[in-house]
Amino acid sequence: MASKGPEVPLLSVEGLSFSYLDSPRAALTDVNLKINRGEIVILAGQSGCGKSTLLRCVNGLIPHMYPGDYKGRIVVDGDVVAETPMGKLAQMVGFLFQNPENQIFMFSVERDIAFGLENQGLPRQEMRRRVDEVMGLLHIEPLALRPPHELSDGQKQRVALAGIIAMRPNLVILDEPTSLLDPKTASELVSLVSKLNKELGITFVIVEHRLELLTPIADRIVVMDKGRVVMEGTPTEVLTNPASSTHGLAIPPVFSLYSELAERGSRLPRAPLTPEEMAQELNAP
Amino acid sequence: MYWLASGLLYRRVVSPFTKLDPRIKLLIAIEFFVLSLLASSVIGVAIIIASIVAVAAFARSLRRVGRTVAFSLIFATFIFVLNLWIGLGLLRSLTFALRFIAIIGSTSIFFITTSPDELEQIMKWMRIPRDVVFAFVTAVRFIPVVMLDAFQIMDAQKSRGLELEKGGLLSRVRNLIPVLIPLVVNSVIRSGELAEAMESRGYGSTPKPTSLYGMRLRWYDKAVLVLSLAVFVLALYIYHFYTFPF
Repeated sequence: MASKGPEVPLLSVEGLSFSYLDSPRAALTDVNLKINRGEIVILAGQSGCGKSTLLRCVNGLIPHMYPGDYKGRIVVDGDVVAETPMGKLAQMVGFLFQNPENQIFMFSVERDIAFGLENQGLPRQEMRRRVDEVMGLLHIEPLALRPPHELSDGQKQRVALAGIIAMRPNLVILDEPTSLLDPKTASELVSLVSKLNKELGITFVIVEHRLELLTPIADRIVVMDKGRVVMEGTPTEVLTNPASSTHGLAIPPVFSLYSELAERGSRLPRAPLTPEEMAQELNAP
Repeated sequence: MYWLASGLLYRRVVSPFTKLDPRIKLLIAIEFFVLSLLASSVIGVAIIIASIVAVAAFARSLRRVGRTVAFSLIFATFIFVLNLWIGLGLLRSLTFALRFIAIIGSTSIFFITTSPDELEQIMKWMRIPRDVVFAFVTAVRFIPVVMLDAFQIMDAQKSRGLELEKGGLLSRVRNLIPVLIPLVVNSVIRSGELAEAMESRGYGSTPKPTSLYGMRLRWYDKAVLVLSLAVFVLALYIYHFYTFPF
């Protein structure tokens, strides 16, 4: 993984409050958050807790596209989001939306991957090089000339992600990336995220309800409730804390079992992240 | 319904004709179009239709062009009957009807053998503003998506007891309202998501965007260009100096 530590964070949200135009209720209230380079962070919380609003603030859709009452500031890689044009932000922060269908604009996969690069005005050879490179990385070369209506949901997701990775962002946001995928495709996506994180050093912020899918690769979980950040820490810290279930999280069985064992006094030497690790810990002499 | 929808989707067919530069394909279609408008005899139009069929066969798209032309037969018959009725005579009525078929055939050859990507390049080459081109591109891109949406809504409403095929013409049209309203709402939501995704990928961030694909005239395109112009001029010459017996 890329260098981690207490250096300047890649993303820092400082005292952010926001309410949409004509909305009496604040969507975000005094949010403070720091995310370091190379981290994989899960953003969790019930629907309507402000996750999507926060993410739209990070990539600049708020306030550039959606005006409203905006207080505080967000700094990504040294640039203040509200003062940076969308075109530049698009190169720094990639955003994979929930429905991949609505992010594929072109008639062939390779052309769509090049969409963001065309918007940047890159020369053709450079685009060709990057498109081929990304297709290789995500194993979608056989799809290069396919039209989007011939792709499965999982393939569409990979194509949409490829279009984002081709722009070489430092930070990639995934908004409920597995909600349309079957379990096998979902776990393939998780290994892909882990691979991109290790090989390219990309930092990920992922909104996900199926926590057990991502806890094995995540460095931290940030929990939001009613527009505020209410908990923050490693998966084990957050998910074994009794308070986490009050914020509507579905605690993966591994963590509830671990808490249960701890309550009964048999403390395992190491907190497991997967059922396999749990089995190992239990079998250890 | 599904059959009709599949006719709207572009299918990639590889043939010597489809591989031509899209501008050449457009030129050939225009040449056919002009000749069909000028031809004033049954034999003349018949020759043009025969050439269109030959080009369609060369493009391995005979069946798809044929399907479009088959749709136009209803209108061609209507044109024939109408002209006969107003007293233009058998031969002239037949010429008008056949001319209509030739026009449909020449335009459908272009649209069937040209991918939406190539259409986009032609539009850019014509210096049509990028936003207009992009609106066209997304409209074509989302035809299959919205179709699928419509079928799903139809199934959902049918399962709640909506009877689409019941009643006279007027009530059938009225039956479509519960399908159309959700379809429009879905499309509006979709367009919002599209706008977000476009912004997130830097649409409009530079006044001079580039393109992964480009158009280039190869020797093969140039040869076809010269050939087609020669045949066109020859046809104009024949049209001007020679009168077919009927």
